[in-house]
Amino acid sequence: MSSKVSRRQFLSYTLMGVGGFMASAMLMPMVRFAVDPVLQPKSEGEFVPTPQKVDKLTETPVRVDFTIKDRKDAWYKSDVSNTAWVYKEGDTVIALSPVCKHLGCTVSWEGSEKHKNEFFCPCHDGRYEKNGKNIPGSPPLGPLDEYMVNVVDGYVYLGKTVPNTLV
Amino acid sequence: MNWTGNDMDTYLSQKEYIDTLVIPLVKVEMNLDKMKTSASSTEFVMHLASVIETQFKGRMMFAPPFSYTSTSDLQSIVQTTFQEFSGTPFKHVFFLTTDHVWSTFELPGQVIWMPSIPLESMDASLRQSILEDQLRQVLPKFIEKWSN
Repeated sequence: MSSKVSRRQFLSYTLMGVGGFMASAMLMPMVRFAVDPVLQPKSEGEFVPTPQKVDKLTETPVRVDFTIKDRKDAWYKSDVSNTAWVYKEGDTVIALSPVCKHLGCTVSWEGSEKHKNEFFCPCHDGRYEKNGKNIPGSPPLGPLDEYMVNVVDGYVYLGKTVPNTLV
Repeated sequence: MNWTGNDMDTYLSQKEYIDTLVIPLVKVEMNLDKMKTSASSTEFVMHLASVIETQFKGRMMFAPPFSYTSTSDLQSIVQTTFQEFSGTPFKHVFFLTTDHVWSTFELPGQVIWMPSIPLESMDASLRQSILEDQLRQVLPKFIEKWSN
């Protein structure tokens, strides 16, 4: 006779079952949210795609324009266009920032007729060697910054700027 | 350099290098038929100014745009307000505008007149390349002035 379920027992089992189901419906998403950061695949950092193919690069620096989407500057959201001077040294791809280390103008490769094989800043005749090293006697006091470079599917991806590691 | 606190600090410590002042001149039209043109030219001038600023950050200071309306007495503005821009530590003063009217005045600096291009309907990359083209057109004017 003991196997017979009383009305009281039946009700408490039913309530526990339904209650447990509801509690798990609340707890499961919480647990999932809590562990979510661990389950995220590691992203590639802040690398931005550029239209530049690696095969097309040579030892001569070329200008590569790329756009950082949705840059947030306080409440103002915009796309920022950026430029890099990219070339190949052996098999490694090198991308230099065009921002002059003197006062922030934009430098260009062979920007002056007089100075071949150099980066030239038109503002105050700043000069840099191909690896970004500032040429003594010209105003800049440091070498050009370098971009972090990543190659994905044959295209150049650029990341943050870091102090020049080639000089 | 832009007319901001930080850039001004840089200017004040590097006065001998930043010797050029650029003042954009924009016309604010309140006539409904001309408002669109006025807005579009202002957009063009300000975008162009920002492209030039990026290129020559270390040598140019950009003043906030000077706005005027169709009833402004330009002759007296030229004779009073603009005289403030001469005799400053800036050796070169440029006025950037799309308005023809300024070519009839004697300004304390060089007027760079550019035909307005409606940028609003262009996508970002086309806009960028158009502005780069315009930059290449004004570049020689700056370089020439600097080399004198």
